Amino acid sequence: MTQPSSEDLVSRRSFLDWLLGLGVVGTLAAAILPIFRYLKPLPQQGASGPVHLSAQDTATLDHDQFVIVRSGATRLLVFEDSSQKLRCLSAKCTHEGCTVQYVPGDGVIWCACHNGRFDVDGRVISGPPPRPLEAFRVDKEGKDIVIDGKLT
Amino acid sequence: MKSRITLSAGLCLLLLLLATAPVWNLIPPALAQDGDASEPVELSAQVREFFETNEEGKPVVPAELQEYYGQLPDHARKLFSKAVEAGLISSAAHARDLLSLKLSPDKMELVLKDNCILCHTDKDMQSEETLWHIRDDGSGSTTLILQNFLADVHFRQGLSCSGCHGGHPDQTEMSDDIYERWPDSERRKVDRTWIPQFCGRCHSDPAFMRGFNPSLPTDQLAKYRESKHGQLLLGKGDSKAAQCVSCHGVHGIQGSDSRRSTTFKSNIPATCGKCHADAKYMAGYKTEDGSPLPTTQLKQYRKSVHGQALLVDGDQGAPACNDCHGNHAAMPPQISSVSEVCRTCHSGNGKLFDGSKHKQVFSTHGWPECAKCHGTHDISKPSDTMLITEPGHLCFDCHTRYAKDNPICNATAAHFHERITTMEAAQANFEQMTHTLAAKGLDVDALAASLSELNDALRQSRSAVHAFDRSDFDEVADAGLKAIETGDAGITKSEKEYRFRRKGLLFSIAVMVFLALMLYLKIRQVEAHQKSS
Amino acid sequence: MNQPAISNPVYRWLDRRYSLGNLVEFLKHKEVPLGDHPMVWYYLGGTTLFFFLVQIATGLLLLLYYKPGEASSYESIRFITTKVPFGWLIRSVHCWSAHLMIVSLTVHMFSTMMLKAYRPPREITWITGFLLFAIGLGFGFSGYLLPWNELAYFATSVGTDSVKAVPGIGEWLLQVMRGGHDVSINTLYRFFALHVVALPLLIFALISIHLLLIQRQGMAPPLTHESKGPGMKFFPNFLLRDLLLWLLCLIGLMILAVMLPYGPGVPGVEWELGLKANPLQPAYPGIKPEWYFLWIYQLLKEFPPHLWVMEGPQAALLMVSVLMGSWALVPWLDRKARADKPSPGFSDYGVGAILFVVFLTLKAWDIGGHGHGAEVDVRAVARVCAWWTLGLAALITVFRFLVYRHRWFLFSGGIALHVALHGLLGMSYLRALVAAAVVVVIAWALTLVTGSSARTMRRVSQ
Repeated sequence: MTQPSSEDLVSRRSFLDWLLGLGVVGTLAAAILPIFRYLKPLPQQGASGPVHLSAQDTATLDHDQFVIVRSGATRLLVFEDSSQKLRCLSAKCTHEGCTVQYVPGDGVIWCACHNGRFDVDGRVISGPPPRPLEAFRVDKEGKDIVIDGKLT
Repeated sequence: MKSRITLSAGLCLLLLLLATAPVWNLIPPALAQDGDASEPVELSAQVREFFETNEEGKPVVPAELQEYYGQLPDHARKLFSKAVEAGLISSAAHARDLLSLKLSPDKMELVLKDNCILCHTDKDMQSEETLWHIRDDGSGSTTLILQNFLADVHFRQGLSCSGCHGGHPDQTEMSDDIYERWPDSERRKVDRTWIPQFCGRCHSDPAFMRGFNPSLPTDQLAKYRESKHGQLLLGKGDSKAAQCVSCHGVHGIQGSDSRRSTTFKSNIPATCGKCHADAKYMAGYKTEDGSPLPTTQLKQYRKSVHGQALLVDGDQGAPACNDCHGNHAAMPPQISSVSEVCRTCHSGNGKLFDGSKHKQVFSTHGWPECAKCHGTHDISKPSDTMLITEPGHLCFDCHTRYAKDNPICNATAAHFHERITTMEAAQANFEQMTHTLAAKGLDVDALAASLSELNDALRQSRSAVHAFDRSDFDEVADAGLKAIETGDAGITKSEKEYRFRRKGLLFSIAVMVFLALMLYLKIRQVEAHQKSS
Repeated sequence: MNQPAISNPVYRWLDRRYSLGNLVEFLKHKEVPLGDHPMVWYYLGGTTLFFFLVQIATGLLLLLYYKPGEASSYESIRFITTKVPFGWLIRSVHCWSAHLMIVSLTVHMFSTMMLKAYRPPREITWITGFLLFAIGLGFGFSGYLLPWNELAYFATSVGTDSVKAVPGIGEWLLQVMRGGHDVSINTLYRFFALHVVALPLLIFALISIHLLLIQRQGMAPPLTHESKGPGMKFFPNFLLRDLLLWLLCLIGLMILAVMLPYGPGVPGVEWELGLKANPLQPAYPGIKPEWYFLWIYQLLKEFPPHLWVMEGPQAALLMVSVLMGSWALVPWLDRKARADKPSPGFSDYGVGAILFVVFLTLKAWDIGGHGHGAEVDVRAVARVCAWWTLGLAALITVFRFLVYRHRWFLFSGGIALHVALHGLLGMSYLRALVAAAVVVVIAWALTLVTGSSARTMRRVSQ
């Protein structure tokens, strides 16, 4: 077999180098693109960040004195107690998981499923619930109502 | 030169050691040594004799009990010696039995001061009927067990044998007072009519009970008189009817909050069932309309949703017999009022029912409101199949008989059924998808939120059935349908993301494999070039 | 690389300032020893380094979103894996690369041991390598706690508990490690500092020394196959091959990270986030530490509460310290290798170590136990694991006998005997160990006395 000319060799080598370069660029792109997407911060809140009540929810709160909002997969009961203080408790009854409601007239939180009752601090007053409702920190910043983390 | 190096090295080491000073005090101090051996205890002559008595080569009172005795405080040991000397603790075996309980010092003193206990635990002095066994060893009466009595609520409050039986704990002989206080033992076994009043001497006296437990009610005797049991026992002299001892026991009474008590919530079905589930015992008793009193309630209750909740799941919120029938004033609830009992917990459904068409209809027919569809003792988890509009199903069968001319009834039931089964199917699907998607590493938060909304809607819809009205029902069911929509959208999105990840992987792998191939070719090329040159 | 470097303008710019001539000469002549031995072992240090570099990159990226804290450790990792674009990928890669790094590290360690790369003048390279191994495990242990989930919490409780056994400072060490009496969020803060600052600084220093020594001394040629002729040039030949292998490792890593985002489902290799740590909850049934700690965990379980004057855990710790110490000191203990003579005894020691660790790890996985937690039939587990280990031992021995012509099997045979005594005959683990040790010592004495080993040695070396 005749030896390829040195020109052929050089062109073959450059072609391979070119392909190699292409491969390197492609791999780098495949690696860098996800990282770039990762680096860009997300629009508003983080999962461990605060929950802001929407305008609609705030309106419901004003009208009914309580509103039930979602944070991820958890439900939260935001309400104003008889002394106008803003409070936030878990809306999931600790008995069978029904969603509770605030009864403004009695100043209690009531679960319709089996008549469980809690006070405004989440402690069980009567009925089958075995544990109190967890309390969350809620603040009013101007017109914005923000729930931020658990009250330890 | 060398000495200078050594000196500076030594100084450096010292400085290094000093630099660790902040952590020196973190090394915890040596713990105090455990108690030294106690000095030997003085034994009275008689006690020593007991302790040295041997049987078959081994001491009757084992070494560990002798050690326990030695660790009792002075006063307790004095009481023990006195009892031994007085012959109340009559043998080494008797001493061993009393010590074997290993009571705390104050309880031991209570026992030693009570001659009743000392005499009645003496195997040599008592007959089978009057002997108190130390612990439950299967032989002997189940009410004469000292270990149980020591936990008894009366004993713990200082009311020992003489408080009920008469006499005095200092006495060393049976007295007339004891014999005369109650009907004689043979009669006592068949005539129980004197018991409620006897217990009521204290338990109906608020001034007296205030000294022990002010929160304990004192109306039990009054209530009992109004109850079926009271009417039978006190009115008709029927000693088969339950009285205080039947439910509370006699020598091992515990408060209802103690798990071992016969009146602890989870134990109440068994306590009532002792009589009410015994067909032989209940033979001869009839209901108001003359049919024999059933004894299947306990069996039904155990299978019911309330029984499962209380007895299997341990849910103390579930009702036991007394929650619906009452305690001391126990009576079967009237047909008209049994639903009021249900409403004490299930108030939501009760309110819905009150506003529904069925309220009037049931009242006209004289039907018990809740029990008609759900049963009484045998309440099982209501099934969606009740709503099926076909023969053999609850709503349809009743409508066919009593609402023949009103097609809306069955149409409504069918609508309820359709919506509920749709939601239920979606719920099962969402639950399974949550697991599957999570296992694949996908974000299931949105799906979990939809599922939780759907669960709410489904629960509320099943409750809303009790309004028996289509528009009321749709108010809550529609939220469920919306949740199904968002959930399905969420699942689609997750599956899209999953496919994206796989595609992304495939693409990246393809690029990298291409690069790997190129690299391999480059290596071959380089080495071929090296060989040729 | 094949073009003369001098014409490159960048090179010339640098050379004018920093005199790169010596460096270039050194690099041109750097070689990897060639012989009739498989070259694959020479790549393992590089793959370990590759996985470590991946760890640094993914670790840094995770650090941008991770928030240590009682209310944020678990939540931020949940956030990363669910909400952050490609966060799931970064975390999955970080977890997989950690385990692959330790696998690569372990194989690298055993291969250098078998090829006796530790013999003079490379003793310090071995020592730094041993320290790197320890630090690598430390990375794994400290990083495991950071998600603050149930598994991490209980695994850390069990793991840190063992330091109590250190004599004298045990209690102090426990409290300093845990930041308190029990594992709490303070433990996480300390482990975080370790994982992100202290250990990286340490490992950077040690890797630098390790690599520097290798550059200075060149890679070690294997003992019995002294290099015949020139080795393979490092630049470009070995380097290109190395890069190719790194690329293949990357491909494998990506496949694993995307297809098995939660690990292979093996105890000690699961990183499904699960539930947040709750100290009030009873421990997770079947809780086990990570797979590379399983042998120590199992060994601790084999010791009775008291052994002569020591407490069980202390005796176990002493045993582990002695074993690890002997491993670290191998360059000095292996006198035959020091004299550049074949040392089958120490190859056998390495094989024995493999069997010892494998048996314990299999037992810790309750292989053959049918059931979980308290219901596991311990005897059945010992038996099944013994069979597997003996099978492995037989395989290795046959291979060594036929391919490498080894004739020294005292250590590995002793371990195999111990495994058989414990697993098949039912002796307790420690008693079987002692019995096997006695048999080995007697056999060894016999071989010395009869001089048969010496004769065998002469035959092999010829």
